[in-house]
Amino acid sequence: MAIYQDSIRVQDCFGTLHKRAGPSPPAVSFPVGRAAYSLGLTASNGVERQGLPERGNQGQRRQRRAVEPRTERMTVDQDWTAVYPTAASFKPNSVPLPVRMGYPVKRGVPPAKKGNLELIKIPNFLHLTPEAIKKHCEALKPFCTEWPAALDSDAKCEEHFPIQVESKAYVSAGPSLRNPNARIITLTVKLSSLNLDEHARKKLIRLSGERYNKDTDTLTITTDSCPMKQQNYDYAMYLLTVLYHESWKTEAWEKEKTRADMEEYVWEDSPSQKNILETLLRMRPLGEKEEEGEVREELLGRVEVQEYKDSVTKLKNEGETETNMQQYKEAVKKLLNI
Amino acid sequence: MTASMRIASVRLLSKTRHYFSSEVAVQPGARTVHHQPASTRNVCLIPVAFLHKGRAYGTQSSSVTVTEEPDLLFQKLSVLVKSHDKAVLDSYEFFATLAAKELGLTLAKVFEPPKNIERLTLLKSVHIFKKHRVQYEMRTHYRCIEISRITGSTSRVYLEYIQRNLPEGVAMEVTKTAIEKVPDHIQMPLWSVQSQEKQGSQ
Repeated sequence: MAIYQDSIRVQDCFGTLHKRAGPSPPAVSFPVGRAAYSLGLTASNGVERQGLPERGNQGQRRQRRAVEPRTERMTVDQDWTAVYPTAASFKPNSVPLPVRMGYPVKRGVPPAKKGNLELIKIPNFLHLTPEAIKKHCEALKPFCTEWPAALDSDAKCEEHFPIQVESKAYVSAGPSLRNPNARIITLTVKLSSLNLDEHARKKLIRLSGERYNKDTDTLTITTDSCPMKQQNYDYAMYLLTVLYHESWKTEAWEKEKTRADMEEYVWEDSPSQKNILETLLRMRPLGEKEEEGEVREELLGRVEVQEYKDSVTKLKNEGETETNMQQYKEAVKKLLNI
Repeated sequence: MTASMRIASVRLLSKTRHYFSSEVAVQPGARTVHHQPASTRNVCLIPVAFLHKGRAYGTQSSSVTVTEEPDLLFQKLSVLVKSHDKAVLDSYEFFATLAAKELGLTLAKVFEPPKNIERLTLLKSVHIFKKHRVQYEMRTHYRCIEISRITGSTSRVYLEYIQRNLPEGVAMEVTKTAIEKVPDHIQMPLWSVQSQEKQGSQ
């Protein structure tokens, strides 16, 4: 049942019909539905707003009547969530705030809210007052689950759940809702959390190539070759599985690994070892003819030789630093009795 | 809804279910008391407040269904919102942070990445007048809200609430970092060292 506000004729105590124009002086009114009947008994005596004279015929066209805005009847402690329950455009007659917006006229102020397009254009958050948000969250709480209390730090999460899967989702308006970047999946895992032995670890690092980060010991697999997110995730897990199982296999040609293929410097059977043994053998007093093998074992077992071995390995693997060079110097001095 | 949940659970059967049962074994005894039961439940999400049922009276008792599907765990949930209007983003940030606090989520970081201005210089006239140009610029403001340690169900609730109240002219990008256990098929190698030696000797 549509009630037009303008269809209500207001009759004052003098019996004449006149239109309401603009905000009326305080009147005794009984709100009935959306229309307000007024007894016409005004507080101010005599100063009656002269409305426009009746135009044309009375019955033909119902003219719009300006009724007092809703804001006049709003109390301070009203339920605002009932006024703006959902997102709606700014209605100046429903918002009891003296808001002004726009570029001010010369030596003036920004325009008032009535008929202000600027206020209607911008998105408003009148439906999301703190009270409304609290009400919504109360209604949403039953659908939430708690985070397990035992996983309160990142270290524990890493320990129990080593694999991290990163994905993105996009929300935007445009000709299409889909975003092709949403299918990309990035899987990150630390190799220390996988069950690998030395050979498997080295082989896996070699197989993964650029995807392995030596500093953080993480393997990162990024998949975007499939059109759907779930497919990319399955593919990433498949790649991880294949890498893992392949790294445990030892092929026949892996026996041909030479010194140049080694990832780290190994002192055994290196020119450095040969040189030092030769030097130490020469340093021994002449005349003692012992077995070569025994002498070697004996020499290698010495503490100074072990120290020398450590310093050389450190130098080769970590590069030349102050401490490494100092260590090397000390070890050489001890060996050669300088 | 239950039918689609069943379908979802069939697809996820391959996933490990015993997240917390194995965790119970690892953790010291004092902690296990606070755990949820062995199979963590996933919560079906149709918040009644968002369903238009055409009833005159308010929301009925909430229809929360609990499924046996294991819940996802997100170590980090990063919500980046972009807009041309900074004031709208300010209000939206207030809304999102308050919602997160009300739902009991931990806000790790709320910050404003620097804005991005794209400028164009075009010819003012259709035909000639090369010396007279007009310049436009498009400013994109950003806001990032990072939430740490949130479960899958809660993240869906929060994200749906946030996204439904996304204002006009604002875009959102959500980055989720889920954490998972090492799956069963990667625990032990298929080919053990002994069988390799046998093959080598042969």
